[in-house]
Amino acid sequence: MLASKAVGHLSRTLRKCTLSQNKGILKRFQSGQPAVHVNTPETRVTKLANGLRVASEDSGLSTCTVGLWIDAGSRYEHNNNNGTAHFLEHMAFKGTQNRSQLDLEMEVENMGAHLNAYTSREQTVYYAKAFSKDLPRAVEILADIIQNSTLGEAEIERERGVILREMEEIEQNQQEVVFDYLHATAYQGTPLGLTILGPSENIKRINREDLLTYIKTHYNPSRMVLAAAGGVDHDKLVDLAKQFFGTTVSQDQSHVTAGFAPCTFTGSDIRHRNDNMPYVHVAMAVEGVGWQHPDTMVLMIANQIIGTWDRSSVNGSHFPNPLVRRMANEGLCVSFQSFNTLYMDTGLWGIYYVTDNDHLGDCTLRVQDEWIRLCTNLTEFEVSRAKNTLLTNMALMLDGTTPICEDIGRQMLCYGRRIPWPEIAQRIKQVQVSDVKRVMGKYVWDSCPAVASIGPTESMPDYANIRAKMYKVFH
Amino acid sequence: MSKSIKTVFSHLKGNRFSQKVKRGIFTSSKLNQDSTDLPEELTTPLSQALKSAPAPIYAPTGSETFQTITTKLSDGLTVTSQPKFGTFCTVGILVNAGSRHEVDYPSGTSHFLERLGFSASSLYKTRDDIMQAVESLGGICDCQSSRDTTIYAASIDRNKLEKLIELFADVVFQPTLPDTEIQLAHNSILYELEMLNKKPDPDPMMTELIHEAAFRGNTVGLPRFPPEETLADINVDVLKTFLRSYYQPQRMVVAGVGVDHDELSKMCEKYISASAKSPSWSLDGPVLQDNSVAQYTGGEVRVEKSFDLSLSVVPMPELAHVSVGLEGVNFTHADFVPYAVLNMLMGGGGSFSAGGPGKGMFSRLYLNVLNRHHWMYAATAYHHSYEDGGFFCIQGSSHPSQLRDCVHVITQEFVRLTQGTNEVELKRAKKQLQSMLMMNLEARPIIFEDVGRQILATGVRKSPLELCDMIERVSNEDIIRIAGNLLSGKAALAGLGDLRNMPSLDDVQSALASTDGKLPRKFRLFRS
Repeated sequence: MLASKAVGHLSRTLRKCTLSQNKGILKRFQSGQPAVHVNTPETRVTKLANGLRVASEDSGLSTCTVGLWIDAGSRYEHNNNNGTAHFLEHMAFKGTQNRSQLDLEMEVENMGAHLNAYTSREQTVYYAKAFSKDLPRAVEILADIIQNSTLGEAEIERERGVILREMEEIEQNQQEVVFDYLHATAYQGTPLGLTILGPSENIKRINREDLLTYIKTHYNPSRMVLAAAGGVDHDKLVDLAKQFFGTTVSQDQSHVTAGFAPCTFTGSDIRHRNDNMPYVHVAMAVEGVGWQHPDTMVLMIANQIIGTWDRSSVNGSHFPNPLVRRMANEGLCVSFQSFNTLYMDTGLWGIYYVTDNDHLGDCTLRVQDEWIRLCTNLTEFEVSRAKNTLLTNMALMLDGTTPICEDIGRQMLCYGRRIPWPEIAQRIKQVQVSDVKRVMGKYVWDSCPAVASIGPTESMPDYANIRAKMYKVFH
Repeated sequence: MSKSIKTVFSHLKGNRFSQKVKRGIFTSSKLNQDSTDLPEELTTPLSQALKSAPAPIYAPTGSETFQTITTKLSDGLTVTSQPKFGTFCTVGILVNAGSRHEVDYPSGTSHFLERLGFSASSLYKTRDDIMQAVESLGGICDCQSSRDTTIYAASIDRNKLEKLIELFADVVFQPTLPDTEIQLAHNSILYELEMLNKKPDPDPMMTELIHEAAFRGNTVGLPRFPPEETLADINVDVLKTFLRSYYQPQRMVVAGVGVDHDELSKMCEKYISASAKSPSWSLDGPVLQDNSVAQYTGGEVRVEKSFDLSLSVVPMPELAHVSVGLEGVNFTHADFVPYAVLNMLMGGGGSFSAGGPGKGMFSRLYLNVLNRHHWMYAATAYHHSYEDGGFFCIQGSSHPSQLRDCVHVITQEFVRLTQGTNEVELKRAKKQLQSMLMMNLEARPIIFEDVGRQILATGVRKSPLELCDMIERVSNEDIIRIAGNLLSGKAALAGLGDLRNMPSLDDVQSALASTDGKLPRKFRLFRS
């Protein structure tokens, strides 16, 4: 709460700076801080009386993205109600007290807008893309589907089938399956180990009462952010937010969701052997850190050093990343991707690779060799290059109103503020070789990884062997 | 299923042996802890602002501008740009060369050049040198070839433009094409073809096959994904002849989004035009240029294939795919916009697709096909349009046993178009086309490609606002007229998968010529 207040204050003073730039610079010099020109509009943040935060960046375009980012997802569920958050997301487009499903669909389609929603383990997001002139209607529709959803029994029954079908689709996607297994094993016995869709028994069982309880517990204005980007005037957006969301009152003003409990990581191994599949898909990860932890940036730099590659790319054998070079030259895998999945209090730092059964052992070994190398033997060159590419990737991602809006919404939920670009750059630039080694030593060296694999897994090394490669004995 | 899952729990953390090793390597325990003398960047949570962070001075709210400026340099090179605020710019070179220009070459030549796009040149000895140079400009680069255009593009820090233009000049006009790189390109294309064959997603292959059927043996009908056999015939000489024939300044456009136009023009003159005068290929060898105009032929292409359905733990449904095409118009034609509206109106997608309202739920292929026939797995309309020709097609997927019915619902939808549309449906299609256009143009790489391609093909860019006006003016009469034009021509038919139940081209043709779009009855022996 404090953090968002501080940002609100900061952005107000900065807005004045943009109106009269000279004065702004002068002011900065006086306070002893250098000023940096940022070639984007500022993100303005306002908090309503009921706790809802409104954050937007106005780029003056004729189109916009506006959405609600809610601090709720499958991690706030338990075995018996797992799947509720996702079920609720599905029900959002099934009609409200003011609009039937058909009315809603017609209205959105006829205005050339798009409504979309997704549920992750920690966030539920509803957003609309529309012409900027239709912003008021978009906000009104979002407010309506979230606050007045009918949750009709007939619609709930029909949606069960749709979700079960979606589940089938997801099970056809190897990456989704292997990451669900990774979560199931790494966070076994905790809500983070649950899937987002939930087991089919739950999907068949969840009823109207469950959905209403979920809304009451989690859809609290103080845990929501109304974010927007594109042709969006902040003051107008705040007025719209007051008009359509301001009436929801709640006693609970905390940002932390009820029932938030830390999730313990367990180093472990899960295999789903299926020899009909042509490739093995493996996700291997150690416990990293949560969103806010200062080591996050360093782990992301380590991700860049490890890199990402697939066989169709010509950039192989002389790629700067040693692991890419090795995999390409020795033909050890089809593709690999370094990842850092973040949650509030924990994270999975690891690698996802696809290979065949013949190369599985060697490929796993090479990956672990590289992890250990990052703990002990890094060059200045590769770290500075990784810092640069990380910064570039982050900057290039912010193109188009939807990616910018997503960034605002996510940052507001995860950090309680939107980090100004120069600060992100400074945090990355400050990282030294010794910091990467230190952080890798802390999270990777001699730690127990969680490993998930699907496909022809016969030659996957035994867990004890994998564990023994998480350190090296030097003589 | 549960039997095959083997879970091993480990509780090795704190294992004594490993602890000992840990101490052995990190003799200084400091390495394992956050020492207190770290700078604030490494100790402050991301939720808190850094005390030493510089204060940002933000740009004022921008206003949308679509002002495109175009200059022609003395050697025929066209330079075009559009302003756009932001921290980075997207700049690139578009070359009027692609797989449609390969009639005198082994198929795949332009695909090879795409893979060799940023490989090695006179100033940059290796691919890595080029990547490092682009990275130092705070950006990324990529080369992509399509049927008619090859694009070299980069997004970089807008203040470092000059270095990039210098690099482009070298990469495009001074490639060294070493054997090792050619071999790598070969391997990567082979892998791409292998994956294309393996992946269940039919879209790239179907697009290829329907092009082949629509423009038999000419221009855009030439294969974009080359057959494996011709790849071996591609060598340095072939590549250099292709470069000499097509990589000429008058066939190129340099486009920039978020750059100063005068600066860009000056830099292009200084680096690109200069480099183009003495490229790394000799200018006086043979020139094999194909400037033929696309000839729509219609026809039939069938590829019998069984898909590998066990890519994941759950097998995928067995499907066959079919596409029915009819001649459309080129993108400079007065009817291009009505065709685009028609495409929106037909819409479609997968019977099971993500996304809420706005994805075209009331388009005809959803309402009349996917919602009504649950055995239809997907149905989508496309208008493929090039500078000198185009075609409109509907692609559908179903179980192989129902392929005939699948074609049947597609031909029915085509024929139904002659009855025109109603005001609500037309208005919705127009609105959705306008919003799709404007939303796509939010991102720099898309603006870049839009500006570049339009200038390359026509020399002028129609502003999005102008296009929106043109969309607004499309009427029911336009739709009826273009539907009549469509159906008066020959059909193109492509199939992929188990095609035992796919009707012949003649049947499709007669269905399209009928008043109800029905396939001839004589072949429906086994249906009630």
